Amino acid sequence: MIRLIGVELTRLRWRRAVVVLLVACTLITGVILVGTAWSYRPVSEADLANAQEQVEFELQQPYMQRQIKQCERHPDRWGVTDADQCAAQVGPQVEWFVGREPLRVSTAFREAGLGVITILMGLLMLVGTTFAGADWNSGSMSNQLLFEPRRPRVWLAKAAGVLAVAVASSALLITAFGGGLLLLANVWDIVVPDGVVGWMAASGSRAVLLIGAAAVGAYAVTMLVRSTVFTLGAMFAVVVGATLVMALLGISEAWFPNKNLGAVIWDGTRYYIEPPMACFVEGRPPRGLDCSGLEKLELWTAARNLAVLLALAAAASLWSFRRRDVP
Amino acid sequence: MSDLVIETTGLRKEFRTRRGGLRVAVQSLDLAVPAGGVHGFLGPNGSGKTTTIRMLLGLARATKGSMRLFGTAVPHGLPGVIDQVGAVVESPKFSPNFTGRQNLQLLARTRGIDAGRIDHALATVSLTGRDRDRYKSYSLGMKQRLAIAATLLKDPALLILDEPTNGLDPAGIREIRDTIRTLGEAGVTVLLSSHILAEVQQICDSVTIIGNGRMLASGRVDDLLGASNVYRVRVTDHERAAHLLEEAGFAVEPDHGVMRVETDRPPADITRVLGESQLWLEELTAVRPDLETVFLELTSGEALGQGEVK
Repeated sequence: MIRLIGVELTRLRWRRAVVVLLVACTLITGVILVGTAWSYRPVSEADLANAQEQVEFELQQPYMQRQIKQCERHPDRWGVTDADQCAAQVGPQVEWFVGREPLRVSTAFREAGLGVITILMGLLMLVGTTFAGADWNSGSMSNQLLFEPRRPRVWLAKAAGVLAVAVASSALLITAFGGGLLLLANVWDIVVPDGVVGWMAASGSRAVLLIGAAAVGAYAVTMLVRSTVFTLGAMFAVVVGATLVMALLGISEAWFPNKNLGAVIWDGTRYYIEPPMACFVEGRPPRGLDCSGLEKLELWTAARNLAVLLALAAAASLWSFRRRDVP
Repeated sequence: MSDLVIETTGLRKEFRTRRGGLRVAVQSLDLAVPAGGVHGFLGPNGSGKTTTIRMLLGLARATKGSMRLFGTAVPHGLPGVIDQVGAVVESPKFSPNFTGRQNLQLLARTRGIDAGRIDHALATVSLTGRDRDRYKSYSLGMKQRLAIAATLLKDPALLILDEPTNGLDPAGIREIRDTIRTLGEAGVTVLLSSHILAEVQQICDSVTIIGNGRMLASGRVDDLLGASNVYRVRVTDHERAAHLLEEAGFAVEPDHGVMRVETDRPPADITRVLGESQLWLEELTAVRPDLETVFLELTSGEALGQGEVK
């Protein structure tokens, strides 16, 4: 079995489409990291001088002068005790024209990191799809089976190859992205609060497992339908259509794919539910009644939902591969 | 233990059609291929040859019946005998963007075959200079030769070749035929499925002819062709020769400037009768039916490419 997995890893390494997708994964992760660094870059002296000029310019505008004068006449209405404070209270602030906040590693990882994870998941699902699809399109599957007729082993070896590539590459790139954020914080003398690194590691690890499972799922579906194009169409339909259709059918958000994925990555997520009718009755709602309209989707619930989906796809794919004639 | 390398009993394969009907590709096929030599597998298009081969190799599931390779029941026991079986089924199928050598490397590593055998196999089919070119740049003949090289990786005891000379130029065809004959003489059992009847007649020791998924005839090629009792006779004076032979009890028919003489007596009697009358032979040839004639006779009642439809 180990030898067979080695063969499949070599096949993956030699496949040009796979190499192109992995290069794309690396480039996109790099671009997002650079973009994040640019949007959180520290404020320079030149930025401050420019912002100060903007403040001075705004203070000279007639509408601003009118507001300051109104404040000076009635400082108490403007929340200040002294008329001298009006220019500072009513007038524009330097920060308004700097336009960016200092880097918060956790926020950046949650926002830009989610982009990285989503894109890696999509591209590595394509790796799984194109890998299986190429064998069917070229007809080389039958040739492979003439050398290893135990079909479950062939299926599993290919799945293991896809899983290994997806897990290794996503682990490397997510670690590089998280490490890049921490490096930026270090260079810019920003203190990273306790627990953030651990939280990033846990979230990143769950994302890696999720990406690996998604890639295997895409591989399994392609082995089932024997067509890259069909699988890509199905993936597109799920991404674009499933949430919309489920929303139209009034299915709980707890079943939405994006909510389940988010819950696994971020250790649970909140989703909207219709509050009970009692919440809309005039007066105060009964004590203990939750009228927030939000419910928590737990990590393990979401993981179970996704695992069942993957298991169904894998079982159908393996069963079909074992029994069907190979062209 | 049976000395049959391939054995099928009551083999049947049904396909479901898109309209919900049933098409029978192979029905009750009993195939027996003895060890050693080259065995031809003949049949019109759609007669079930490729389907039978695919079932033997585990690529298609039999609906009914049993199959054995080297006495081992397949497909269940296929993993135990696959190292002894090399096969080319229909057109060659490899990954188009890999080189010929890469394709063979992947297959060899699957069975833990020594990499040195790749060079040997490539040299055997004369692909050594082009082995680092992408498979998709190969001509049909080169693809066919790569497929044969793949079968040689395992050093097989049974070689199953489905139309192996398709797309080859005359020199390539000759090379492959020589290779097949050499392998057959070396003790490898070769099952050769082919449409080229002259090729089968030239190379094969025995043959099975199928039509509509059923076996129509099987046996040694010589036995199938039968003993000859018709001779082509050419002399300078046909009329006199015909008269003498008829008087001697031979059945004679003129045939485009020669005579066809039918007799159960030995051909030396023809020589003697004519020689005694100072008529000297220019030609005396035994006329045997060729495989094409036998094949067409056997398959004439078969509707080509059609199975039983329910």
